[in-house]
Amino acid sequence: MANSTFLRFLLLLLYQYRSKHAGIAVISSLIVALLSAVLFISQSIQAETALQLKAQPDFVVQRIRAGKRIDVPVEWLEEIQEINGVSSVTPRVYGEYYFSPREEHFLLFGVDFFDEQSSKAIEKIVQETDLRKFLSKEQMIVGDGVKKFLQEHYYKGFYNFKNPDGEIIKVPVYSSFDKETNIISNDMIIMPMELLRSIFAMDEETLTDIAFNVPNEAEWDNVLTKLHLLHYDIRVITKEEITKSYHNLFNYKGGLFLALYLITIMTFILIIYQRYAMVAVGWSIKDVLKLKFFETSIIVLLSFINGVIIAYCYVYLFDAPLLSNLFLGSENLSNEVAFMPVVDFGLLGSIFLFFGIPFIAAVLIPVWKIAVTEPKEAMK
Amino acid sequence: MSEIFLSNEVLIYLLSESVIYVLILIAALLSLQLIIKWDFGSYSEIQFTLEKRAYLVMTIITFAFIVKIATLPYFAYGIDKLSDLVPGAMCASGVIGANEYGYPLLGLKIATVFISGTWIIINNLDLQSPNYPFFRIKTGLFLLIAILISIELFLDFTYFGNITTTKPVSCCSVTFGQQGGSNPLPFGLDTAKLLVLFYLFYFMTAISAIGRYAATGFVANILFLVTAYYAVVYFFGTYIYELPTHKCPFCMLQKEYYYVGYLVWASLFSGTFFGINSLPLKWFAKKDVLYTYKFSLFFNTLFVLLVSAYVLVYYLKNGVWL
Amino acid sequence: MIRIKNLDKIFNPSTKKAAHVLKEINLQINKGELVILKGVSGSGKSTLLSIISAMDKPTSGEVIVDGKAVSKLPDIHASHFRANSIGFIFQHFNLLDELSVKDNISIVLIPLGLSIKTVDEKVQKSMELANISHKADQQVKELSGGEKQRCAIARALVNDPGIILCDEPTANLDRTNSLHFIELVKTLQKMGKTIVIATHDPLFEEAGFHDSILHMSDGELGEPK
Repeated sequence: MANSTFLRFLLLLLYQYRSKHAGIAVISSLIVALLSAVLFISQSIQAETALQLKAQPDFVVQRIRAGKRIDVPVEWLEEIQEINGVSSVTPRVYGEYYFSPREEHFLLFGVDFFDEQSSKAIEKIVQETDLRKFLSKEQMIVGDGVKKFLQEHYYKGFYNFKNPDGEIIKVPVYSSFDKETNIISNDMIIMPMELLRSIFAMDEETLTDIAFNVPNEAEWDNVLTKLHLLHYDIRVITKEEITKSYHNLFNYKGGLFLALYLITIMTFILIIYQRYAMVAVGWSIKDVLKLKFFETSIIVLLSFINGVIIAYCYVYLFDAPLLSNLFLGSENLSNEVAFMPVVDFGLLGSIFLFFGIPFIAAVLIPVWKIAVTEPKEAMK
Repeated sequence: MSEIFLSNEVLIYLLSESVIYVLILIAALLSLQLIIKWDFGSYSEIQFTLEKRAYLVMTIITFAFIVKIATLPYFAYGIDKLSDLVPGAMCASGVIGANEYGYPLLGLKIATVFISGTWIIINNLDLQSPNYPFFRIKTGLFLLIAILISIELFLDFTYFGNITTTKPVSCCSVTFGQQGGSNPLPFGLDTAKLLVLFYLFYFMTAISAIGRYAATGFVANILFLVTAYYAVVYFFGTYIYELPTHKCPFCMLQKEYYYVGYLVWASLFSGTFFGINSLPLKWFAKKDVLYTYKFSLFFNTLFVLLVSAYVLVYYLKNGVWL
Repeated sequence: MIRIKNLDKIFNPSTKKAAHVLKEINLQINKGELVILKGVSGSGKSTLLSIISAMDKPTSGEVIVDGKAVSKLPDIHASHFRANSIGFIFQHFNLLDELSVKDNISIVLIPLGLSIKTVDEKVQKSMELANISHKADQQVKELSGGEKQRCAIARALVNDPGIILCDEPTANLDRTNSLHFIELVKTLQKMGKTIVIATHDPLFEEAGFHDSILHMSDGELGEPK
């Protein structure tokens, strides 16, 4: 195969025409970087949501009236506990609190700190909290986005909630939870259940919904039927459904990507079209094809490696400014996230195939055309 | 449209397959023209044009072949990834069995890579001869490959289009495990006999490669391929998983097993590919194509050492057999 | 030895643009001979040279070089034949301007799969022969016309071919450089190379070192007028 003189000549060509090749390499690297960044982000989000979902309860039960969710009476709790195969039944109280001037909202989550938590993320937060100190008065634990928001609006470690009757309830911030688990809990506030009830003026005897697990997957269908027999106005959300809706956040600005891609390939075809009659000095068509094929492959490979490294730094070191908004939505509280690096061979392979195959396929016929050009024509 | 099509891996895989198919289609049309008008004795300009077009055809096939080899493990990887979406599937085995197109598709893919590999070797022999002696054979073979790839593309889309994410599939322990005590091995073999045959056939392939007995090698390698498949699934695999009940050809492709499955299957397929091909190539070239013997011996030995090492290492670490 | 039998070349046959550029050429050039091929441009000289070097194919007839029919070789064999037996000097030099003299010369040897050391030695030797070794590392675009010609000659000699074909080698050179070139050809003649020079430059005839002169007009070979 490639003997050393061949390799030397190939490198020489790449070096001598470096300014032309560099242009292509830069645009190609950008394409790969854009593509990789998008895939890295979506992969990280998938991994993060998968982690979160693992901690999610198997079932959530809500009550519906005229198509609208309303609070669940506490009695349902016991009824569900009586179903066979059901475990860790947790009452949940939460709600969205609108901060009207800026049309933003927080997710207020009420927690019974002495109970078993159905969500592992909250369990972790509870464990890290000194309960005696925290429960000594009415306080809250806030997500990173909320913390930033409060700072920006000059609230020094507290916030004044207004209940539906217009009374002001001042709640100090006890602590905030870390950035790494940010993707879902960015705009979340955790507080004791009674405090939350008073902010939303909820009835003592009602809950927002009820979460529970059914460890035996084979029982899921049974449990579902039993729940629907229990009440006509019940709504059941299963983890299975959520898992699927979280999958495949794959969407990106395809048009831009395609345009860049086409430009690169066209320029590249012009560059490899060097009118020089190798064939006249003892090269076979096969030799020329080999040279051009390797030339292309090296450019593709270099751009691939470059692009992936750029994307890696962009996403994981600089937390993907601009692009992350595209994915996470920026209409809410500023979503400052730290993506956790999730990169495997499969993902790298995907990027390589997606970029490399159409690229090489597109230059294949032009390369052949160059290789079979009559020496006479090439020398004109 | 099935939500399977939204998976990155499936999209990229289908894109690659489609791009290659467009090239193959161009090459097939050119080949038809070549095979009809080819007349090496002629001095006409048409013949010279055809000789040049033949280079385009071989460039396309070589590239398509490289891509096919690259997408074979990628296909396995993509399928493996889908096991998150398809209920009941723990690894690629469940997903590939999700509908009746999966296994034919996988088989066809492996067959295509095998035949394309043969084509590349014949093409090289042809180019090195002074008068393109295998031109019609290789062009005919390519047209056959083009038909296979057409079927493959059709199966690609029907297979992925017909995976539902609602109907549960069986996981590998159901597909490959013993159901109701029945023996999954063919010809009523038990594990001990299977292993005896496995090493016996390996030595046959090794001896044929060293002694350059093409015909014996042809038979031995086919037998070895079949035996090795069963031996890996029902014996060596259990040592890779370190679990006597885990019998699956696909799970070893996963990260938990350091992707060793790719090496296992790649070495087996490469070794038997060269071993089987020694015979038809000897036919065509009318002499031994020496490197086929060398590669066959190398890859088969690599494969046997690799799977045997798993068993030995397990025994040394734990002091018992599974 | 080069033997040409009943050679015909028609471009675009059976079309309106058909051009019969070589008609019934019969020719024998013995080993070590120097032949001057004269004729106006368009008379078919270049086509004849490219058919001898197996770059172009005849419409009918045969070219036999050292007992081997070269006009019907598949591409790999034709290029192998060129790389081993033919040195070609082109009118427009056909050099890669951005590469150095040394690298341009080594291009010929790359498909032969030689070691880097052998290649470098051969390149050095042929550069000395063509008197261009002092410019070895200079880019071709910085060379004068005469130097480019010597680089092209070094490239034609690097594979130590038995046959050297020159297509209008002095068309782009001034008188001094043309005379230099003729001196060089004399050296090659002494080395026993078979040389064919297609030219209409009278300097070659005046030099008087040829074994024969052939005249070409309208694709036909004739005796000198």
